Amino acid sequence: MTAEADDAPAALPGDGLREGIVDDLRARIGDSLVDSHIAPNDDLWVRVATASWRETGEALKAAGFTYFCFLSAIDWMPSPYGKGEDDPDAEPVEPDTEIKQGVTGGETRLQLLARLTDLDRHVGVTIKADVPDDAAVMDSWSTLYAGANWHERECHEMFGIGFNGHPDLRNMYLPTDFEGYPLRKDFPLLARMVKPWPGIVDVEPMPADDEDDADADAGTDGDAT
Amino acid sequence: MTLTDRQQLSYIASQAADARLNVELETEGMTLNIGPQHPATHGTLRIICRLDGEQVIWAEPSAGYMHRGYEKLTEVRTFPQVTTLVNRIDWLGSFANEVPFILAAEKLMEIEAPPRAQVIRTILFELSRIANVSLFLGDLGVQMGAVTPVFLAFRDREYVLNLIESATGGRFHPNFDRIGGLKDDLPKGWIDEARQSVKKLMQFCDTIEDLLFGNEIFQSRMRGIGVIPAEVAKDYGLSGPNLRASGVDWDLRRDQELPMAWDKADWKVWTHPDGDSWARCWIRLQETRESCKIVEQLLDQIPAGPVMTKVPRIIKVPAGEAWVSTENPLGEMGYYVVSKGDLGPFRVKIRSASFNNISVVPWVLKGVYVPDVITILASLYFILGDIDR
Amino acid sequence: MGLVDKGRLPAPLTKLFNMSRSYSLWVYQWGLACCAIEMGAAFGSPRYDVMRLGVIPLPASPRQADFVCVSGTVTDKMAPAVRRLWEQMPEPKYAISMGSCANCGGPYWDSYSVTKGVDQLIPIDVYVPGCPPRPEALLEGIVLLQQRIKNEDMAAKWRGDEFTTLQRTRAVEAGEVDRDGELISDTHSVSEDPMPDPDPEPIVVGGGPIE
Repeated sequence: MTAEADDAPAALPGDGLREGIVDDLRARIGDSLVDSHIAPNDDLWVRVATASWRETGEALKAAGFTYFCFLSAIDWMPSPYGKGEDDPDAEPVEPDTEIKQGVTGGETRLQLLARLTDLDRHVGVTIKADVPDDAAVMDSWSTLYAGANWHERECHEMFGIGFNGHPDLRNMYLPTDFEGYPLRKDFPLLARMVKPWPGIVDVEPMPADDEDDADADAGTDGDAT
Repeated sequence: MTLTDRQQLSYIASQAADARLNVELETEGMTLNIGPQHPATHGTLRIICRLDGEQVIWAEPSAGYMHRGYEKLTEVRTFPQVTTLVNRIDWLGSFANEVPFILAAEKLMEIEAPPRAQVIRTILFELSRIANVSLFLGDLGVQMGAVTPVFLAFRDREYVLNLIESATGGRFHPNFDRIGGLKDDLPKGWIDEARQSVKKLMQFCDTIEDLLFGNEIFQSRMRGIGVIPAEVAKDYGLSGPNLRASGVDWDLRRDQELPMAWDKADWKVWTHPDGDSWARCWIRLQETRESCKIVEQLLDQIPAGPVMTKVPRIIKVPAGEAWVSTENPLGEMGYYVVSKGDLGPFRVKIRSASFNNISVVPWVLKGVYVPDVITILASLYFILGDIDR
Repeated sequence: MGLVDKGRLPAPLTKLFNMSRSYSLWVYQWGLACCAIEMGAAFGSPRYDVMRLGVIPLPASPRQADFVCVSGTVTDKMAPAVRRLWEQMPEPKYAISMGSCANCGGPYWDSYSVTKGVDQLIPIDVYVPGCPPRPEALLEGIVLLQQRIKNEDMAAKWRGDEFTTLQRTRAVEAGEVDRDGELISDTHSVSEDPMPDPDPEPIVVGGGPIE
């Protein structure tokens, strides 16, 4: 009546397996694989060309990545509003406006981000693709992975990225008349505009304020403080 | 998994009979709105069903009544503050929500919690799973008109909550996990108390099995209802017990390397080939027992040592990206954390289990009868905070 | 209840009515988020057992509820539904706001989708702070609400006035204070009951801030 399967994989995936996945993907989609990054014994990132987003999904599904984990996006523009918890008395710092992409690089402000898992080989891959700045529209994965349907709806609502071939891009979370794309960095949190972050009075004293602790912690703090 | 021929034939026959009946009775289409305030929706989910006679021909969950904007709020919080927020995503198993986020931050900082903290983390993680799933097991009866199990669940869940409270100070939202370890050590006498409580929870599982799982009404309302084949489950990204009930042997506690202590205990990943509502509930029952076993074993194996590694007072996480997911009570819960070297994260993508688990609802509700809608939703088990975030 | 409709009711009868009302409260539980589980623990669990206080949980519909316990985060999308359910409840009705989110937005004070306090939608009688409050705190909130109901001028409630205490109505009738609670003369003799706060503020369990 009940299957009892308890055989763990012989060995958890190594970097050799991840390199093999990258090579396999390159064989399937060719030059559309722009960049790849392997964090040793940890994780794998690939970045593909915008036009071959769907093709990548098809190739990875054929390569055994049948489990759909999530799909989302990142807005790489630094927030023009800062983190809203700086000392109100301090000199305003010139906000950093340079757009710096993360792992595997990129050229545009918005990047699409998805993760697929191979349940047999016990390995996952994070796929990134640039979203064009002028027309934020990508191909939809919803016919490829059924689970991508809702994730793309969420992504459309939060980032304003359109998806070609998606059946229904209605708002999922917010009322239909909501204006703006909340997860874009230029979306202001109005409550923070009218009221400064109250937590600023609660932070522990800085190490420099109390001399004894500063000396004791100096060795461990390193350059992090 | 595929349906057996007999199941398929009986399904086709029932569909044909219904179609004939609907034509004879000239039933008209009707839209049934369940929620957003409905006991079966565990919060504020709204489900719109279009009916033909007694059958659902189209169903669509309408989420968003509990959308609190976690992903935006994490961008304006510091790393230690984020755990206060993410704690409240899956509010029944709060401690389990903190762990993957802390692990992701630790991965970026390239530190690891000391062994004692790892074991205590695992124990609290499993306790929050018990707290979560025990309420599910109790609530299961309510969806079918049996009220007794929920009182039992609330009674026995208190034992676990007492444990969590005495260890962390928070009955519901512990916020106990810190980058680099735990806030505090366990109080005196906690381990003995935990042993006794876990025994009580094992008894609770037996009671629920006797009360519900052997019950004829329960079986006839659960068996063969809401079948999700393995391919569909993977396609939709179902995780946790919902995936394992479809016969996919996948448990992140076993199938990935994390600085946690699950590998120190002897336990078992249960799967079920049927993929129906009954299988999903049964898997959860077995998992509660396994959790009890894990806790029992780990209580004997808590190593001596500190619970906190050395971390700077003001935590700045180095720039980078990390993905960590764990097998939470509801399924795979993961955080994709992007840091730019500041006090707070640059972006946190929260992959919550219920969001994917509930996205299968339009598929699985197609063609079922109205009373089965409630039992299927109950067996999929979602928490609104986990869907809407 | 012809007497009540006319706005007049003998005081002993009011006391009797108030007592019976305060010990047969049907509560409509409005579980929205995390607090709903603590509310469930207070209402449904044998350890806390709200029924010993004369409160009956789980009515079939808001139409037969006496007070509502709003527990959890109210989002802007949920707000119209909250308002509509409140309007469906019959008078006299009371509301308890449970948890920081319902009180003022709580940890989501800066969120773009959360209503900062359910008191923007419905009048609240008792605030129970905490995130989430323990079931005991909710029980204390209910006890405080019962005390308030026992001391209420029922006729004023029927007339649609804000919460008015019996003592205040008596003082107004005796010409001792005006409707705003200001003393008219110093020579009055106030009744033996302690004069309650003339401007009835919502109760906050624990007496602190509502966060």
